[in-house]
Amino acid sequence: MSDLGVALVVWPSAAILLVTALYVFRTASMARAGLLLLASLGVEGLIFLALASEFLGALQLLMMSGEMVLMVFFMVMFMPDPGGLMGMDMTHDKRRAQAFAVAAGIALALVAVLTDWPAGTLNADAVDVRAIGFEVMGRSMFTFLFAGMTLMFTMIGGTLLAKQGGRYRVGAPSGELRDAGDEGR
Amino acid sequence: MSAATPFAVVGVAIVGAFAVAWLEGVVAGRPSPVPVIRGVGRTLSEPMSAPATYDRWLFHMAPTLLLVAALVALSTVPWTPGFRGIDTEAGVILFAGALAYVTPAVFMAGWGAGGGLAVVGGFRFLGLMLAYAMPLAMVLTAVGAPAESLRPAAIVEVQANVPMAIVQPLALALFVPSVMAVAFIPPFDLPQASSELGGGAFSRYSGLEAGLVALSQRILVVAVAGMTAAVFLGGWHGPLLPAAVWMVLKTAAVAGLMLWAGRRLPRVEIDRLLAFAWKVPIPLSILAIGWGGLVTLLFYR
Repeated sequence: MSDLGVALVVWPSAAILLVTALYVFRTASMARAGLLLLASLGVEGLIFLALASEFLGALQLLMMSGEMVLMVFFMVMFMPDPGGLMGMDMTHDKRRAQAFAVAAGIALALVAVLTDWPAGTLNADAVDVRAIGFEVMGRSMFTFLFAGMTLMFTMIGGTLLAKQGGRYRVGAPSGELRDAGDEGR
Repeated sequence: MSAATPFAVVGVAIVGAFAVAWLEGVVAGRPSPVPVIRGVGRTLSEPMSAPATYDRWLFHMAPTLLLVAALVALSTVPWTPGFRGIDTEAGVILFAGALAYVTPAVFMAGWGAGGGLAVVGGFRFLGLMLAYAMPLAMVLTAVGAPAESLRPAAIVEVQANVPMAIVQPLALALFVPSVMAVAFIPPFDLPQASSELGGGAFSRYSGLEAGLVALSQRILVVAVAGMTAAVFLGGWHGPLLPAAVWMVLKTAAVAGLMLWAGRRLPRVEIDRLLAFAWKVPIPLSILAIGWGGLVTLLFYR
């Protein structure tokens, strides 16, 4: 793609990314919040594709869709007000939280703008590329695997908590599956 | 890729969608194409309408997202050595990535319509995604192994002598039900389930939007049948006939078999299917990746 073509994809995509990310926190509907997050991260995949990072872009599109749709699934399942029609407010300590968020945002933006990023282009067989490959597939792999397993156990645990009648014990299975704490009710 | 390629892909999509609609009639014992054309005319002459209370954005964006997902998936299918929409090194990942957007589109349609049965239809499809997404993506990496590439055209080239269906039959057995579930055709028609949910996730659409949903689903069938023909049945390879003819014949055969099987199987139950999927097909797809690696090391190097 030409430089103009790349710019025509990247900058509008970046704008959509930021606007949809902002609206994730402006909506009370769990379905909208999850799907806006998907829009934000999916558009990021388009940026990768436009910057000729084909594998990363396609993988970002694939993984983010699955993950964000699952998140919608879990949010609607766990939230007491999934549709956002009952005026649920999940924020607290607003003033300090806002001040911290603004300060952190400015600090990160300054780091991004003021850093002296390397401008050179590397070939596929450069030493650095090989080094990254060995780093990712070698020493760091244990960390990745551990993080992945932790996430999976969290999801399975959350599902198990949700399964036994949910937080209100509505329709809890009777008999041997009911735990001992229910005897006193 | 030339400037005409996008138009050619859209042409394949429209002609293919009509052919699939006609095939549906053929497997149901109604070989005449006239009802298809009449149905299109009837749908498009209806006015568009919306439910009384609904999520405006999600409801109206869903058919477009479904169509875009179907078209991108279709454009990754290699039809002949010289013709395909998008030719990238990560082609099968892009194929799976485009199909991954069918799930949010169907969920948006169901949730956006704001009716009980529609939401149930959307949610069932979310559940179905948990069953098909993992086998679909894992099997695609297994068939990429012999070609040492995720480019669909490279996977077709490596099948010049032996089709992948013979080398990796387990992968094919996992792939076909997965892609039928993505295209939500029977027996995986959980989101619409006309006999129990009365249209389900799509029950509130009418006119042009209903037409877009119907068109997108048929384009999905063309895309998944085309990709099955390309990565498992040798794609354009075949004696005597030209490359494009072989590809069209194989795609039509796969689509016809999928629709025929769908008419003869009862609709799956989502809870039983999920319990089965986590115990059998998902572990088997890990096995399929191992098998793909093994045959690559033994026969393709």
